[in-house]
Amino acid sequence: MSRRLSITLLTAPALILLLGVFLIPMLLMLLLSFQDGQQAFTLANYSLFFQDTFYLDILWRTIRVSLWTVLATLVLGYPVAMFMAQASGKMRGIVTMCVLAPHLISVVIRNFGWVVVLGEKGWVNEMLMAMGIIETPLRLLYNELGVVIGLTDSFIAYMVLALATSLYAIDPSLNKAASILGASRARTFFSVTLPLSLPGIVAGTTLVFSLSMSAFVTPALMGGTSVKVIPVLAYEQIMSTLNWPLGAALAFLLLGSTIVLVSLYTKLIENKRYKEVFAS
Amino acid sequence: MAKVYDVELRNIMKKFQNNVVVQDFNLQVEQGEFVSFLGPSGCGKTTTLNMIAGFLEPDGGDLLIKGQRMNGVPPYKRELGMVFQTYSLFPHMTVAENIAYGLKLRKVNKAEMKERVDRVLSLVKLPNVADRYPKQLSGGQRQRIAIARALVIEPSLLLLDEPLSNLDAKLREELRDELKRLHHEIGVTTIFVTHDQEEALSLSDRIVVLNHGFVEQIGTPLEIYNQPASEFVHTFIGKTNRLEGEVVEVDGDRITVQTPEGMLIHAAKQSRSFTPKQKVVAFVRPEKIVLSQTDSGDAANKVKGNLQLASFLGSYTECEVKVGGQSLSVKIQKLIDKAAAQEAEKGIYCHWNAEDVLIMPTERG
Amino acid sequence: MKKINVLGLITFIVIILVNLPFLVIIPSSFTAAGYLAFPPEGFSWKWYAMILDRPEFIDSFWTSIKLATLTAILATVLGTLAAFALSKYKFRGSGYINALMLSPLTVPSLIIGISALLFFTRIGIAGTFTGLLLAHILISIPYVVRLVLTGLSSFDYTLEKAGYMLGAHPFRVFWDITLPLVRPAIASGMIFSFLTSFDNVTVSLFLVAPDTTTLPLAIFSYMQETLDPLVASISSVVILLSLVFIILLEKVYGLERLFGLNSQSH
Repeated sequence: MSRRLSITLLTAPALILLLGVFLIPMLLMLLLSFQDGQQAFTLANYSLFFQDTFYLDILWRTIRVSLWTVLATLVLGYPVAMFMAQASGKMRGIVTMCVLAPHLISVVIRNFGWVVVLGEKGWVNEMLMAMGIIETPLRLLYNELGVVIGLTDSFIAYMVLALATSLYAIDPSLNKAASILGASRARTFFSVTLPLSLPGIVAGTTLVFSLSMSAFVTPALMGGTSVKVIPVLAYEQIMSTLNWPLGAALAFLLLGSTIVLVSLYTKLIENKRYKEVFAS
Repeated sequence: MAKVYDVELRNIMKKFQNNVVVQDFNLQVEQGEFVSFLGPSGCGKTTTLNMIAGFLEPDGGDLLIKGQRMNGVPPYKRELGMVFQTYSLFPHMTVAENIAYGLKLRKVNKAEMKERVDRVLSLVKLPNVADRYPKQLSGGQRQRIAIARALVIEPSLLLLDEPLSNLDAKLREELRDELKRLHHEIGVTTIFVTHDQEEALSLSDRIVVLNHGFVEQIGTPLEIYNQPASEFVHTFIGKTNRLEGEVVEVDGDRITVQTPEGMLIHAAKQSRSFTPKQKVVAFVRPEKIVLSQTDSGDAANKVKGNLQLASFLGSYTECEVKVGGQSLSVKIQKLIDKAAAQEAEKGIYCHWNAEDVLIMPTERG
Repeated sequence: MKKINVLGLITFIVIILVNLPFLVIIPSSFTAAGYLAFPPEGFSWKWYAMILDRPEFIDSFWTSIKLATLTAILATVLGTLAAFALSKYKFRGSGYINALMLSPLTVPSLIIGISALLFFTRIGIAGTFTGLLLAHILISIPYVVRLVLTGLSSFDYTLEKAGYMLGAHPFRVFWDITLPLVRPAIASGMIFSFLTSFDNVTVSLFLVAPDTTTLPLAIFSYMQETLDPLVASISSVVILLSLVFIILLEKVYGLERLFGLNSQSH
């Protein structure tokens, strides 16, 4: 009796907040996405999406940018995570600090830094021109490349975290076992380390993909008007065009397509053997 | 007026969901007594201790401490001392703060507090660690501090929940002697939970042997050792040789048992009576058997066998002697050298007295 | 050995890259020139002085501080209470409640922002500080719950038993024993909430009115119009402030533990 009372009293404040600021608003938003201007039920907000290649092009661009970001964070993050796994406790602490701490500073500021670095009069272009490698500034910003650079910087911490977690869990004596059996370092990596870090790869790539799909700030700041992605489009519909039903529908379409793609991907990777090996 | 005991359990029963874990537990503990609850894990000893402490409520029966019925009284109002297996010192308090915590709750003044902390620290022979934190102490030291913390409030009853289990063998023995000394000095009524029969035998005034939630026997260490109430008690307290057979002769106090292979075992007076043809089990402790090259001597039992294995274990040697199809375990103080061992492999006699044989009816089921 | 060096080199490059924005912004903020340049031309504090002439930055700075502080306090209280219930009592449905508490983390901020805007408009708190605060508490609660649950998972409940046996009332046990021992987890939940609120753009974007704009949003808007050293100087201020909190986190709890990376060590 007092147990139940304690549970209720302790969880109620947080649950009320979740209900009022999260669950009810989400439900409302879902309902609204099925309404037309006169508040009548319609599927138009969703069907529009599939009729007009304008929207499909933007979705494809969103996916493409996200995939490049996943690839870049994986390629750059894996060696970092491996280094952390092999490093001593102190070195590991330092690397953790240097890689993860920037992640705690506002994305707006980090993006601004990249604008300074990559801009037409930015540091990279100035340097390349001074060295005589190029004559006119490269366009590194306000295109998909710029967005991918910005997103990679934003999300690499998540990738490193996911990979490091699974790499730390690998018994270091497995490497010794492989090399005593005659496997070279590269062979050991491909037959032991890489397969055993698969859960980390799956976790990291799905997380970075989902985050990239719904990223708004970086595409807005580093993509400019030329790299429109779904989140930016949804924002415009909500805040500028004031077509809230369409904006809501776009956000849900984004969420839906992310979920579909992620589950297809995990289905593909997590085959029978994977499940048997990594069953918890 | 009925006698007031320090602790009295009357028909205590406890169940978890529909599992009865303690049943028909009756016990009276006298003032100053050291009583152990001994049994394998899951026997109900810790559950009973938790009921005495107040962490669990009995589902039946009465629990009295100093004559007061304690059912329903929360642990913090019972004025007991308790020492846990995992030490459970507060890591964010120094040794002195840990010990003083109970006194602080009782609003003891500063000067007295300091004096009592110092006194109890010297009692556990750790006078110089007051300002250290628990993690700066060794396991043995931590447990001494935990004991000090429990004793400083001068509890009416001290509960020890396997306090030695987390220590290594040498420390365990050291702290066991320490507990004995402390109990001797302060004489606080103590209930000690353990699964280690040596600890129970060496420390206790009385032992309660528990199995599957039932009290198998309550008695002094000597009674438990020499007059076990059940096969479980006998086999749980130390190693033993178990020989099944049938009573072939009852001559006054003397009983003769024959194993299926024809080995005859002569036993002296038993607490139970037996009749011929009764299926029984005869027990002989390994340390009661003597090895000899000859069959001369006045032991009632002399059987010939072959030495199979001799393991030197420091203070004694454990031997395995094969007698017919039966293997006897024998504990001897003497060293066996290689030549003697080779000799014994060809043939050796096991001698033991009729008084050292315990006979019990074969347990049904 | 050679392999370690290659990994070390890549790690070093990645560390430089993720910190490059700060390495560029801070020097640029001291430029004497009237435009953004790296390396900076000359040295001057004038772009810091300029901040004081921009009420939109000053006001939004105080809004952000107030918002982050209140968010940190309230999210910590709500999240800690819930985490205590979830850790101490294994009750039917506790798994669902746990998942629900963490769910704002799994839904894109974009959707949280839009849905809050729609609902707040309906109940009349869109654009108010209250609405903003509620949304920020929502996105911070999962971190607090997760951190406090982790802190409690290593808490030895026999310490509470020891407290009871010494005669401490349950409230006293909570205050003297349980709370001090999970304080690092609670404190880091609080600091993390502060940073989460202080950094947030995507949720705030939908919920601010001109008079409730937060600092990151002010910078965001300003950046879309103009890029000048003023952005660098105001950004440097934010970086410095964030750094203070990051160091605090490292000292109080440790970043490795915060990110769940301290389970094993060689």
